[in-house]
Amino acid sequence: MSQLLKVTDLCKSFAGQGVVKSVSFDVNESTTLGIVGESGSGKTSLVRSILRAIDPDSGSVRYNSREGWQNLNELSAKALLPLRREIQMIFQDPFASLNPRMTVQAILEEPLIIHGLGDKSWRKQRVAEILEKVQLDASSASRFPHAFSGGQRQRVGIARALILEPRLVVCDESVSALDVSVQAQILDLLASLQSELGLTYLFVAHDLRVVREFCDDVLVMYAGSIVEQGPVAEIFENPQHDYTRLLLSAIPSPDPDEKLEPLDREGLLLE
Amino acid sequence: MNDSLLSIEDLIVEFKTELGSVKALKEVSFDVPYSSITAVVGESGSGKSVTSNAIMRLLPDSAQTSGEIILRPQGREPIAINSLDERDPQMQELRGGLVSMVFQEPMTALSPVHRIGDQVAEAVLCHRKVSQEAALAEAAAMLEQVGLTEVESKMRMYPFEFSGGMRQRVIIAMALICNPQLLICDEPTTALDVTIQAEILVLIKSLQRKLNNSVLFITHDLGVVAQIADRVVVMYDGQVMETGSVRQVLKSPQHPYTLHLLSSMPGIKIVEELQTSSEGWAEGAPMGSGTVLGDAGGGRQVREFSK
Repeated sequence: MSQLLKVTDLCKSFAGQGVVKSVSFDVNESTTLGIVGESGSGKTSLVRSILRAIDPDSGSVRYNSREGWQNLNELSAKALLPLRREIQMIFQDPFASLNPRMTVQAILEEPLIIHGLGDKSWRKQRVAEILEKVQLDASSASRFPHAFSGGQRQRVGIARALILEPRLVVCDESVSALDVSVQAQILDLLASLQSELGLTYLFVAHDLRVVREFCDDVLVMYAGSIVEQGPVAEIFENPQHDYTRLLLSAIPSPDPDEKLEPLDREGLLLE
Repeated sequence: MNDSLLSIEDLIVEFKTELGSVKALKEVSFDVPYSSITAVVGESGSGKSVTSNAIMRLLPDSAQTSGEIILRPQGREPIAINSLDERDPQMQELRGGLVSMVFQEPMTALSPVHRIGDQVAEAVLCHRKVSQEAALAEAAAMLEQVGLTEVESKMRMYPFEFSGGMRQRVIIAMALICNPQLLICDEPTTALDVTIQAEILVLIKSLQRKLNNSVLFITHDLGVVAQIADRVVVMYDGQVMETGSVRQVLKSPQHPYTLHLLSSMPGIKIVEELQTSSEGWAEGAPMGSGTVLGDAGGGRQVREFSK
């Protein structure tokens, strides 16, 4: 399996406060890496630094593009543009992430226009193809976001991310705002798209149940640092760090015999 | 003779819209016993929030309701909430006094321009004739009960200075300060992190045991149900599918929709054994509005379904 992403000593601070502290990890192609932690642990700042949606302070983000290895952190905005086709993002809020005044056709063809791809009729055909891929009706193209449910909107968000045929897709809490049964449908869709298109996912989530089901490997973040990383089965069956144990113990079990205990934060070291 | 704190009987709620009327609740009936936690679980659109808003009489004017909502406060005459006049003085006493509510969004449920202490004390001043000082002292004591530390300085702070978990504790303090007999929690932990959620669940449960009141807990998460509730009501499409004790319903679900909900939960061990039996349920399948809740024994009810 070939490597797609190699993050080394990535740091980011806001107003002197370190939010990502020397984070390093690798991601293999066509796998899913889960990034978990509480709010404030730095998971969103981490993925945004990788995407250069914000500029990291130091460290390198080496990405194995179709043209070979590149350090995203060293590229100018202009040099980064062609790589943006390969790296896309699916956002958390299916209501806030779609422009209410644009039709689904306009929303989905905008990335194609930005990257100067095809003519009008080709783009229309491409939108129809991608709608079919995310299991939305072809007639959806002429409608506005308000006409869709949360789950359908998230399908539009997925279609927008995939229309440029990316290789790396960052999902930032992409199923957190959805009901449990809609969540299951969207996860099924993401999984089948991954096996069909060979996608690599960075999957940010605070719900460990979802991560356990969906990811191959997982990073556990606490106060800006990785406290534990490894294959999902390993981390969940045999957590080594106190913080990982705390996170796992907080998951409410649907078995009434497994009682939730008050969490014990004592002994957790804040570095 | 019914001996529950709250009884909902054949509650129908219909919304008038430009495109005709929509039935949000279709003859919903269930009880909330004294000193217990009852969870209502279902997907969005199942009618859980409409039910709790109907109890508080918070539905918009476009809603037409029929059926009975009866509250039997201890040491008082029963109140037929659904037939109270809007201007009846009992209405004011009911809201925030006998029944109070904790909302989902701790970010929007507090006023951004008032100090924490004043917001909690306001609930006291609305319901009882006490001085400002006495109300503030009560607010401080309540904030300590919900687990805030350094209460004196926090009373003077504003909501933006608080984290989501701390805000939800403040809202719980506001809801409990008039010692209500029924506390309605509408998805109180959905917007919170899993660790903060665990802390709030433990808090709500321990306060219920301590104050000996009743809680109606609305959620879509069966894990939360298992951890907090004594009894559970499973709703789908404006109807009750199954009710019973948490152990009965989650350990041996009888309605295919309950099985479907359980099997939607990511990474759950018991699901695999159950998966085959949930195949009887299909999305949007008619549940047969004519069928009734049948008594399945042991205080348990299950709606009839065709296999």
